[in-house]
Amino acid sequence: MLKIVLETVGLTKRFGNVTPLDGIDMQVREGEWVAIMGPSGSGKTTMLNILSCLDTLSEGQYILDGIDTSKVSEKERVVVRREKIGLVFQQFHLVPYLTALENVMLAQYYHGMIDRDDAIEVLNRVGLSHRYDHLPSQLSGGEQQRVCIARALINQPAIILADEPTGNLDEANEQIILDFFKELHAEGRTIVLVTHNPELAEFADRTVRLHHGKVVQHAA
Amino acid sequence: MAANSTSPSQTGMFLRILFKSLKVRRNRVAITFCSVAIGASIITALACVYFDISAKMSRELRTYGANFFIGPKAAAGERSMGAQAGQAALKMIPPDKLIGASPYLYGLVRLDLGNAVMAGVDFPGLRRLSPYWQVEGEWVSVSFDEDSCMVGKHLAKTMELKIGYSVNVMHAENGFQRRLTVKGIAETGQAEDDQIFVNLSLAGKVLGVPGEVNHIMASVVTQGTDIDTLSTQLEREFPNLDAKPIRKVSYSDGKILDRIKGLMAIVAVIILSVTTLCVMTTLIAVVSERTREIGLMKAIGADDRGVVLQFLCEIMIIGVAGVVAGLGMGFILAQVLGQAVFGSAITFRPVVLPVALIPSLLASLAAAALPVRMALGIVPARVLKDE
Ligand SMILES: Nc1ncnc2c1ncn2[C@@H]1O[C@H](COP(=O)(O)OP(=O)(O)O)[C@@H](O)[C@H]1O
Ligand SMILES: [Mg+2]
Repeated sequence: MLKIVLETVGLTKRFGNVTPLDGIDMQVREGEWVAIMGPSGSGKTTMLNILSCLDTLSEGQYILDGIDTSKVSEKERVVVRREKIGLVFQQFHLVPYLTALENVMLAQYYHGMIDRDDAIEVLNRVGLSHRYDHLPSQLSGGEQQRVCIARALINQPAIILADEPTGNLDEANEQIILDFFKELHAEGRTIVLVTHNPELAEFADRTVRLHHGKVVQHAA
Repeated sequence: MAANSTSPSQTGMFLRILFKSLKVRRNRVAITFCSVAIGASIITALACVYFDISAKMSRELRTYGANFFIGPKAAAGERSMGAQAGQAALKMIPPDKLIGASPYLYGLVRLDLGNAVMAGVDFPGLRRLSPYWQVEGEWVSVSFDEDSCMVGKHLAKTMELKIGYSVNVMHAENGFQRRLTVKGIAETGQAEDDQIFVNLSLAGKVLGVPGEVNHIMASVVTQGTDIDTLSTQLEREFPNLDAKPIRKVSYSDGKILDRIKGLMAIVAVIILSVTTLCVMTTLIAVVSERTREIGLMKAIGADDRGVVLQFLCEIMIIGVAGVVAGLGMGFILAQVLGQAVFGSAITFRPVVLPVALIPSLLASLAAAALPVRMALGIVPARVLKDE
């Protein structure tokens, strides 16, 4: 059996009297590609925020790569985030005054290890070999999202977490991103991807369906 | 994964982010820079004037006449003293503190058309002592001129005297007489308007008391001089003399200075507060604009230290540049103020540097405190929400 990279036990999140996540049990093993699906408002983003240590849980446990994140301090969560996680958002969040290359190197900078060649190599991989010196405003949406993926990959994270990465893209760009995730999966990367696009989920090893904050189905 | 030679170092990357971030917000940076520079220049100008003013103002105020009296001991009933003793006493006042001094010898004389009070004086000394005199014609320029006189405006009118006229001066009893030319007509609005002024040596001869004076009046810089100590010293050295500050004038000098200084300090504090508020407002706007960017930086691994460091460095770069520019501008402004208000250049005193620099920089930091807290309070999950 492969090592468990990510595990939640009875994960519950409350905002006042709203409970967007209500006792989620989930495991992701090394090299697995898991899709999280569900209707709007079912708690997918809340789930991903907790998995990416951007938010804390109210009850239960979340163990990432052997670390019980519910027990670490705010400061340590920042470290866990930058050491273990590669994040991709639905919107293409880039620092607007830094070039594509510098945006990738920014993640290296926070990680404490800048290697320009590495950053260029990753940008090459996502097909941006001639766009290093472009500002985000000079790139198309699809290109910006590819810079975000390059940034998520650069520090060799234990897991890649993506929240509807193609939600704001046209079909052509969606295909490029999808192909890229397939490639990463083939390389043995661990991926958790939130989507409501069944086509995207199709290529995942497994789909976790959320409804009103509960897991309704673990499908193969 | 060895870093190759073209990779920026951690510091290099930090500086690159810093300067690109400043560059992209040129307008905000310019506003902040100008606020700091203007604030610092006013503080600098005030500080330059403040530390130079005491000396300058004291001299300036000293144009309003004598503030020190040397005369025969009143308790002994003497009405006059030897001019030599008076001059010796005067020598005890440090020369750089003495603006001017003149002996006075008064007596009643007959002029052509009637009696008048004559004052024997030292004209060059009197001129420094009383620069506020309004003189028509000119001052008698040397102390040995025994052919010229100055006449008070009112007396000139009643005696029908004009510039260049001759006037006979005669002692009422002993008959000593001298013919003098009216060199100047003086107006002071006080007793001098009814007096005739001649050189002391001549007055001594006319009045038959050569070498005598009634008293000496002096104008002494009060700043940095303990005028009471001076008085005690003089009286100890010359036991048969009175040496007293003319309290009304010399004490109010100090009071006016203190008030002006107090006023300047208040203005400085107000300017600093306004600058701080202005910078703070701009920085708050900057943090609001950058909410997403800061959220993103935190999401990809920036810790609180990193956020604070980036922000404070940006502010300190603007702050230091603004303060340095302000120092230069402030010194120029001080010169303009000095010329306009005191008619003289303001000497730069090193104490101005810390006094202007430290509060200006502290104000920039204080202005940053709230915006930095706002930046720290940014929750990435909230600001990066996909909506
Ligand atoms: N910060 C919050 N405060 C209060 N309620 C929240 C907050 N974030 C999410 N919610 C609520 O939690 C539920 C799940 O939201 P979300 O995780 O964004 O769903 P999804 O991403 O599946 O559309 C929604 O009902 C939403 O209103
Ligand atoms: Mg969502």
